[in-house]
Amino acid sequence: MEKELFEIYQAPQLRSPSLIIGWQNHDAGKLTSRLIDFLNAKLGGQTIAEIKPSGFFTLGGAVFKDNLIQAPESKFWACQKSELLIFRSEEPKYEWYRFLNAVLDFAQHYCHIKELYTVSGTVSLMAHTTPRRILAVYNQSEFQEMLQAYGLEDMTWEGPPAISSYLLWVAKRRDIPGMSLWPEIPFYLATAEDPTAAKLTLSFLNSRFNLGLDLAELDLGVKSQNEQIAQLRKENAEINKYITLLETGLSLSEEEQVILAREVYDLLEKTG
Amino acid sequence: MGIKLFRQPELEKPVLICGWPGIGNIGLLAVDTLRRVLKAEEFAEIEPWDFFYPEKVSIINGLLRDLEFPTSKFYYTRLEQGDLILFIGEKQPTEGERMYSTGEKAYRMANLVLDVAERFGCRRVYTSGACVSPVHHTLKPRVISVLSSEKLTAEVEKYQNTILMSEIGGREGEGVITGLNGLLLAVAKKRGLESICLMGEIPDWLSSSPFPYPMASRSVLEVFADILGIKIDFTVLDRMVAQVEEVIHRIYESFPPEIRERYDERKFVAQAKPRGITEEDARWIKEHIDELFKKGGEQGGERTI
Repeated sequence: MEKELFEIYQAPQLRSPSLIIGWQNHDAGKLTSRLIDFLNAKLGGQTIAEIKPSGFFTLGGAVFKDNLIQAPESKFWACQKSELLIFRSEEPKYEWYRFLNAVLDFAQHYCHIKELYTVSGTVSLMAHTTPRRILAVYNQSEFQEMLQAYGLEDMTWEGPPAISSYLLWVAKRRDIPGMSLWPEIPFYLATAEDPTAAKLTLSFLNSRFNLGLDLAELDLGVKSQNEQIAQLRKENAEINKYITLLETGLSLSEEEQVILAREVYDLLEKTG
Repeated sequence: MGIKLFRQPELEKPVLICGWPGIGNIGLLAVDTLRRVLKAEEFAEIEPWDFFYPEKVSIINGLLRDLEFPTSKFYYTRLEQGDLILFIGEKQPTEGERMYSTGEKAYRMANLVLDVAERFGCRRVYTSGACVSPVHHTLKPRVISVLSSEKLTAEVEKYQNTILMSEIGGREGEGVITGLNGLLLAVAKKRGLESICLMGEIPDWLSSSPFPYPMASRSVLEVFADILGIKIDFTVLDRMVAQVEEVIHRIYESFPPEIRERYDERKFVAQAKPRGITEEDARWIKEHIDELFKKGGEQGGERTI
């Protein structure tokens, strides 16, 4: 383990935890942020370490968003009672392989993880009213078999890899079982929040790790968002038509997709 | 980070010829053609993960099967005149969006390539690339050489259709061979190896075109054939040459007549300075090349080149 890559704040009191990983870039439906904030808040996550940004991120200046300076952050939290190690980071800009190995070095040699889970939303051309699925990718067939009972949908894909797939591959080479969770996010909720996807994913984690989380508070967010979009459909026939088309399994033109995404974004932005 | 050696061939003072992608893929195409016609055998590979992001993942029924990275492979063959190592890099290791290597990764890659070459007793290295020149596309591309030492001048002057970089003029004796096709030679020189770059000429207006320039690869290959004392079957490459020439000719025919006339002067002038077209003409061609290429494609139908 390259110790100089880490800022270690405290020794983790974990025996054989599971690692949950979320990437902040392209955070469709703000799923990763929501999920990791929720888990840390409810399970008492303590910051235990960070990977230093030097060598992995552009440090030629500071990025700001909505008047706020953004700093690259790659942080580990320990949830002692639940035996969870949580990691959240932006995707590195450079030295991906070294970065992913740093994540696994810390998790494996310092925290003794037994398995890992990555979480990212996958944007889908679907209606928000259509039942959501969590698509899943595993790096070992035994691990896949073990998790069959959770009703996740096996993904098939050939193309450019996401960083989560790259991480699963690196973990496989170390014989660490891992899976990526890809909850579906309707494209018009991708830039807003998608509480339904967050709840679905948290339900899986709750059940998988016996976390005993009360997810009822998430229902309020789901209900409120559904009501707002239902109201928009009543007031705007064009939007209603587009969502109805999606509900019946038909697709929209690019222009129609843009109109729908913009209207829903404006609505949810306005109502906070 | 390292080298995977699949076998340990017994080689005697082999020369190394390297090719990475670059303008018109001139060097890469030449070296890959050599590999193919000589049936060179793969014997080693540079592990890709420290240099490249994977390009493809295969996930089937929920199971991650494989990741594919750009390859950087070594091949060898034995020839009557001596042994040969070929190195083919599918991509230059870059940081960010650049096409060419710079910095630490490129330096590491160059040293790894030379580590393998020296391990097998290599003392001479060739790379190949493009020399962007104010030439007419119908003229046979010349091969322009840059050497690690003046001692090599006499030898290179004997190569067919080859001149020293200083002979083409207009460059004030200075220039840069961008990326690993250049850096490797510098690192080789520092390690005490002889190094030679053989660059095929490509017309300036085609230097940013989206297709390869096999005419220059052919010129470079003819020189390699001389050096290695071999005969090369050009059938496959010539097919590609014919296809690309046809596309270029269509683009050329769509030049405005006054530009074409000025450009055609290049056919009759020994090139020392850019001749035949004005800077404005060159800008016009570059700005329109994508459009012109598309027109050529539309008329000729879809083709793989």
